[in-house]
Amino acid sequence: MTEKIIEQEKRAFLTGNEVVAWAALAAKADIMYGYPITPQNEIMHYWTRLAPRYDKRFLQTEDELSAGFTTVGGVLAGRKAFTATAGPGNTLMQEPVSMAEMLRLPIVVVIQQRGGPSTATVIYSQQEVTMTTLGGNGEGMRVVYSTSSHQELFDYTIKAFNTAWKYRFPTFVLGDGYQAKMREPLTLYDPESRGIELIKPEPYVGKPGTPGVDRAPSQFRNTYSMEEELLEIVNQYMQDYGEMAPQVAEYQVANVEDADLVIIGHGVVFRAVRAAVDNLRARGLKVGYFRPVTLRPLAVPQIKEVFSNSKKVLVVESAYGQLARLLKEAAYGTTAEFLTMFRPGVGITAEEVEAEVEKILG
Amino acid sequence: MFFNQVGIIMSKRIVEAYIGEYAGGKSENALNRALELAGLGRKVTLVDFDIVEPVYTLRPIQNELTARGVTVIAWKTRDTLGLGEAGTTLKPGARWALKHQGDIILDIGYGVGGARTLRLLEGADTDPDLQVIAVINISRPMTATVEDIVEQVREMGRVNALLNNTHLSDETTAAVVQEGARVVAEAAKLLNLPVVASAAIAEVAKEIGLTDCMGNPVRSINRFMQKAFW
Repeated sequence: MTEKIIEQEKRAFLTGNEVVAWAALAAKADIMYGYPITPQNEIMHYWTRLAPRYDKRFLQTEDELSAGFTTVGGVLAGRKAFTATAGPGNTLMQEPVSMAEMLRLPIVVVIQQRGGPSTATVIYSQQEVTMTTLGGNGEGMRVVYSTSSHQELFDYTIKAFNTAWKYRFPTFVLGDGYQAKMREPLTLYDPESRGIELIKPEPYVGKPGTPGVDRAPSQFRNTYSMEEELLEIVNQYMQDYGEMAPQVAEYQVANVEDADLVIIGHGVVFRAVRAAVDNLRARGLKVGYFRPVTLRPLAVPQIKEVFSNSKKVLVVESAYGQLARLLKEAAYGTTAEFLTMFRPGVGITAEEVEAEVEKILG
Repeated sequence: MFFNQVGIIMSKRIVEAYIGEYAGGKSENALNRALELAGLGRKVTLVDFDIVEPVYTLRPIQNELTARGVTVIAWKTRDTLGLGEAGTTLKPGARWALKHQGDIILDIGYGVGGARTLRLLEGADTDPDLQVIAVINISRPMTATVEDIVEQVREMGRVNALLNNTHLSDETTAAVVQEGARVVAEAAKLLNLPVVASAAIAEVAKEIGLTDCMGNPVRSINRFMQKAFW
């Protein structure tokens, strides 16, 4: 029954949600656990249509808490497991993600952001940045990739499984409702035939041998009796996280060398930022862009450099300052004037960014 | 059969329901067909029969369609306030759409579930003119091969014809459409169904000519659904 998923590279026309399902297959994911919520539903729909063809599994749970915890269980059993959610579902998902942080479990979670707070809209926003990067009762020990195109949704969903299993931190792919439902062409490929090695999963529990005799016992704790025990483990994990950060942090930057103003945006908004910079440059304005691809960990040295070398920085996002807050921390001690364009829950066009920049640069 | 003032053959009433895969091009083809017929001076009613996402599909372009002479049966945003995303509902007028005079073009919800909603259409079983057309884009991985198309169309119940809507958005070339024409024709042969046309955006349609490589007519499409949502 199992056949090679993508025989040869080809251009295909898909919605973003479908891209995620195909990417999870291409990454050799074993199982998806999920609970429906718009705008991520078609990830589940497509996974369930594809799963029987490729001998994969799916479990629909009773809610997102359960979807998160069953993903945790799948990973403990050595399966490449993932889930997908949005909005209030992401809120519930933070509890199992916290557990995955504490147990160092490589769960993969795909988020298609919708409007907030609460149920708000099913459509679009970038208002799940704070929650996805720093949610739960912990220290934000997770990796968050923010995609801006269908090709990136495919590339980074594959990468998310590798990052998770290599560093053993929960890993998110952060999309949004526009990317989820939008249709555009992309190249589907088999990662291994491109030389991308897919890290094989391994079980945490139920390993062969005798604990304490021919292997170490499998002991995984999310509960500690004493403060000092906890301090030791959290410090160790944060050290691991800090060592990982420069290896996984990704960004894109252009035209900043001579820029009077640098525009910063992430995700689908970056498409408007990039187009705006192209158009403004063509009109002779000295503007550049910086785009964080990983929102956690951020490319801190590069952000500091941008904020040190520019007079003005304009942060553009479909939220009320969630990216801006992360950037302020990363840029602490630098001197650029910090300007913002916040449009919580609505899309942002290149023309709107251009108008804002022209207002600023007079 | 009769001729209108510019000599175009005016056949009998045209009734077409567009079904098919999610994001396969059902709405785009349905509304382009409605506009084409309206452009010929025919009386056309376009029906949004999508009960899966009724609030979103045709909403932003309804007024434009009406302005161009198409009667539209679809919810307006103000009609559905408070319904939320989960509001699966059929506009009563849509149920009785076949009773309208003139041509009727129906935009059906996606997949097998969408095709099944045709059962809610009064007179669907007995209307002598109704043609159920499955829209196929072979750039969509779920309908990429002859076998996939045959399997999916068989699951959909009543289908009277296929329409090749193979494209890659802005990257569409004549070769992309022609490859679709070949694959769809082969699937149609196995299904014992006709292919009504190949659809292509205007400049590609012009390049291909009046018929595709399989001898089926080429329909020139203008893209409206980019302005629509989802």
